[in-house]
Amino acid sequence: MHEPLNTAKNCRHYAMCKIDFLGSGVCASGPEKHYVSFYPQGRMDLYAALAEGKVPVTEKCLEIADTCDLCGKCDYQCYFVTELRPTKAMEALKDYVADHLEKSGEVVKEEVDEVLKELKKIVGDFWATSDRAIAVTYSHDPSPVAEPTMPDYVIMPETREEVSAIVKLLNLHDIPFAVRGNGSSVMGFVMSSGAVLDMNRMKTIEFDEKNWLVKTGAGVTAFDLQKSAQERGYRVNAAEPSALVCANIMCSGIFSLFSASYGTAADNYIDAEFVSKDGTPFKLSDKDAPNLFAFNPSDGTIPAICTSASIRLHPVTGDEEGILIPFATMDEALDFSKECATHRIGMAIGVLGGEYLSTFMAPTKKLAWEIKNTFQKELGIEYLVLVIGGKYDIKTIQNMELPTIDQELFKALYLGMPSLRSANWLSLLKEMSDDEPFSYLKLNGFTDLSETALSPSPEQLAKEVDPELQSFFKKLFDKPEMTDLVWLNMFRIISSRMGREKHVVALIIYLPIDNALIAEIDGEFRRIAEKHQIKNDYGFITPLDNGKRCVFEYDYYLDQNDPDEIAHMQQALGEAAMMIEGYVKKTGTVKSIFQLFTQGFCRKENFLYS
Amino acid sequence: MHPHNTPTIALTGATGFLGSHLMAALLEKGYHVIALGRSTDDATLSQRIANILKWFGKEVPTGRLDTIEINFSQEALGLDRPKYKELCQASDQMIHCASDTSFSERRRQQVFDSNVHSLNHILKFAADARLQFFHYISTAYACGMNGTACKEQLPNTTDFVNVYEESKAQAEKNIATFCEENAIPHTIIRPTIVYGDSRTGRSLKFNALYYPIRSLMAIRDIYLNDIKNNGGKKSQMHGIKMDEDGYLFLPLKIVLPKSGGLNLIPIDYFVNAALQIIQNPGTGEIYHISNKTPVKLDEIVNYNEPFMKVKGVEIVYDDSPENYDRNPAEELFDRYIKAYLPYMHDNRVFDRTNTDRATSDLQPAAFNHDIFVRCMNYAVKMEWGEKLKRLGI
Ligand SMILES: Cc1cc2nc3c(=O)[nH]c(=O)nc-3n(C[C@H](O)[C@H](O)[C@H](O)COP(=O)(O)OP(=O)(O)OC[C@H]3O[C@@H](n4cnc5c(N)ncnc54)[C@H](O)[C@@H]3O)c2cc1C
Ligand SMILES: NC(=O)c1ccc[n+]([C@@H]2O[C@H](COP(=O)([O-])OP(=O)(O)OC[C@H]3O[C@@H](n4cnc5c(N)ncnc54)[C@H](OP(=O)(O)O)[C@@H]3O)[C@@H](O)[C@H]2O)c1
Ligand code: SF4
Repeated sequence: MHEPLNTAKNCRHYAMCKIDFLGSGVCASGPEKHYVSFYPQGRMDLYAALAEGKVPVTEKCLEIADTCDLCGKCDYQCYFVTELRPTKAMEALKDYVADHLEKSGEVVKEEVDEVLKELKKIVGDFWATSDRAIAVTYSHDPSPVAEPTMPDYVIMPETREEVSAIVKLLNLHDIPFAVRGNGSSVMGFVMSSGAVLDMNRMKTIEFDEKNWLVKTGAGVTAFDLQKSAQERGYRVNAAEPSALVCANIMCSGIFSLFSASYGTAADNYIDAEFVSKDGTPFKLSDKDAPNLFAFNPSDGTIPAICTSASIRLHPVTGDEEGILIPFATMDEALDFSKECATHRIGMAIGVLGGEYLSTFMAPTKKLAWEIKNTFQKELGIEYLVLVIGGKYDIKTIQNMELPTIDQELFKALYLGMPSLRSANWLSLLKEMSDDEPFSYLKLNGFTDLSETALSPSPEQLAKEVDPELQSFFKKLFDKPEMTDLVWLNMFRIISSRMGREKHVVALIIYLPIDNALIAEIDGEFRRIAEKHQIKNDYGFITPLDNGKRCVFEYDYYLDQNDPDEIAHMQQALGEAAMMIEGYVKKTGTVKSIFQLFTQGFCRKENFLYS
Repeated sequence: MHPHNTPTIALTGATGFLGSHLMAALLEKGYHVIALGRSTDDATLSQRIANILKWFGKEVPTGRLDTIEINFSQEALGLDRPKYKELCQASDQMIHCASDTSFSERRRQQVFDSNVHSLNHILKFAADARLQFFHYISTAYACGMNGTACKEQLPNTTDFVNVYEESKAQAEKNIATFCEENAIPHTIIRPTIVYGDSRTGRSLKFNALYYPIRSLMAIRDIYLNDIKNNGGKKSQMHGIKMDEDGYLFLPLKIVLPKSGGLNLIPIDYFVNAALQIIQNPGTGEIYHISNKTPVKLDEIVNYNEPFMKVKGVEIVYDDSPENYDRNPAEELFDRYIKAYLPYMHDNRVFDRTNTDRATSDLQPAAFNHDIFVRCMNYAVKMEWGEKLKRLGI
């Protein structure tokens, strides 16, 4: 495939180009024009659609192509996550449009029908459109189970009143609609043949510090909310940084490593404002409001449109640190995480796969592959428990006399990662200290030795990326937050790297921390994937509710453009869903994310223990 | 008995260091060998044996070497009845050289399963096959920590350095009892620490003698890298520097609780001595294949200085090692050699009466600078075994 087209068709739709997670700034036209079409993600989709003859050159198409000045920022952002270089697709888009104008000059002016006129009256001329250059960027996602669906209208409301008026209008004309955050659920939830309501203009953030609350509009991303909270000395429970907070609550109730102490679902908001599906505004605290606290197994449709939510602020103690504890088996890792959760040690807890240190930390696929062996085979790190906590938590863990990777050692391993390829001194350690796994981590001066051996530096790590990007990445890796386990986890900017090699489909269940049951289900996920020749891996486990339950993610991966892989994935997902359903029925304690979708506002107790 | 009147020897452990050398020597001497072993994920037993023979510069001899995949943890060695019967009929003698050689307490179960529990099936085979002789390759350290004079007798202590020694001692006792009860002629051959070929330096295993050197080299390379690529910032903090004569000055104290040495024998000597014993065995006898003069670690450190171009390594004898502040290099070195430390200051004396008689007083080559350099050069060339792994060994 032509390279720019290949790049465009491999956009993962994780919306990371919509947040300024590297401090490089985002694509300038995005925050001004808000439609995803004016962000790199949308431009890539548009270019692919034009190149494949799916849409004509329209007025909006010219505007979208023109508003890219080839600044190159999206290369930094997208390369960081997926190693793609979108500017190649941007150049191709601009060339395509210029070429078209030169050859035929025909630019399609889309018809404005009566409904669109009414919609424009509600939101303003620019914020409702039928232009196919925009509509096509809302028409698909890389989900293997969703059919592309072109909407007739894309609408960007700014206020609750506008949302209410739109819903009433659409209902009047019997037009189906989908509500879209940033589309990063990538499950085909945010497509509709009628209208798509993109909530991205609802960007208000109002702090009420006296009451430890922040009211966030439906268009605020997790990253932006966390950043504002952090600037004021607080933290919120947020997950994927590009997810809109209200969308994420609605969709999954927000689970993150911090859910170990901050909880999930209704644990994290105090109140929320909605517009019902008939267009009536309501607040959750209204006496006769629909009972969204009650968990109703999801029928796949949203119960109402959330326009804002008042989110809890959590204190930041200033002495927080991250610490990683390696384990050779899942059993040991689970026992330890449960021990921490039941004793309320640590704010964030995650049982991660051994690949965490390679896949998530390495800036390129190549380096991730090369050092995976060092961590897993040579050092025997199959699982890692990450704990983030204050000084008392960290001290308690240190007193347990387990081998640990502290913040300082983590930094050395991270910035010295390229030298790990040839670190035979490390593999020798495993060979020679067989008796007590990872006991080398307890050596006095091990961090000093690692620093000596690995010569960690931003320069060294930056040398791994494309030559033109090295100077940017060198400065980036020099920023303290880029090696800070607390920052990296509260902003979660590296977890989307799991989709770097192939698009990821996450299978999520909630269950007791029962090692045998977890091992059995883990084995089943693997068996099904292997039967269908699908790349797969353990994702993570986070204890919930003092260790009474946990959330368990297992990941399947596919080439989103390969019809065979899509077919295999469809079969595997079908079987996995049935397998989960079997455990749901058999155990009474296993719950599936499939039951939760669109029910995320429920009380977690209603969901987990009903 | 094989048609050509040479006995047929069933040999376990032929994919290991000692066993492979025994196999090569037995074949050289015209014996018929049946190698009993297992495949790996990458290769069948016969492929593994062929790779090993290639390393010896030998072809698989037609008609004199058979390989049979067995599992000693199962009845009849995991073979079906007809195969097992055939093996019993074909075997005249057995050398049981396979052993789990891990020192790790964490692997206790596995070590005992391989070294002790599996003996039930192996000894049953010895009885079923009515073997002329059963030779067990044990270790001199099966005698345990029972004083400094070690007799060529069954162990009578429960004090051992590690699970490996303990399992080998238990195996000796089980073998002696079973063989006596079943009138199976047997010997127990106990080598001390075996290193490469004293004449060529070639080896298939790089532990024991090699570990301190390999560890020092890894540590040296860490600091050389720092000096070369980082201006030696970290090295300076610990007084590590490049001397004008091109030597790295690496202050590293190896603290040993008492004086003593390593009892080393080269593989060529082990093979010669073991073969002579096998050809001239005394039933129920135990043979120490050992060195009358152990090598002191100080000597090895001296040999190593010009070899590695490293100065500053010093041996200190003190029974309170905790009194010493350790720099990171020392901490790492201590960790590397922890499992082998007890063998580095050993002052046990191994009685060799039986061995001297059976081998006409054949003695191992005295360990010296030349042998050291030869062996270490080969080890480095083989990347401490990594290269051999790539050759399928
Ligand atoms: C790599 C990756 C990792 C992820 N990890 C996590 C994780 O650890 N934890 C977690 O919780 N999630 C995780 N997710 C899932 C994802 O973050 C959530 O699905 C989140 O909701 C997506 O936010 P969005 O703004 O993109 O929502 P969208 O995908 O746009 O919408 C999600 C759902 O919410 C509905 N919706 C959107 N806005 C509103 C609204 N205002 N009112 C009512 N309904 C609305 C949509 O119709 C849709 O059904 C991950 C996703 C990816 C791609
Ligand atoms: N090397 C020394 O310095 C030394 C010193 C004193 C005594 N010894 C004794 O000499 C013998 C050989 O030692 P070595 O150094 O040659 O050891 P080695 O290189 O580790 O080889 C061990 C051999 O035993 C086999 N083996 C181990 N566990 C087994 C199991 N469960 N089932 C089947 N086969 C198994 C191995 O087979 P795989 O290849 O399939 O793993 C290999 O062939 C041992 O009895 C040891 O106690 C050695
Ligand atoms: S290159 Fe174009 S699409 Fe990419 S960030 Fe810059 S302006 Fe936006």
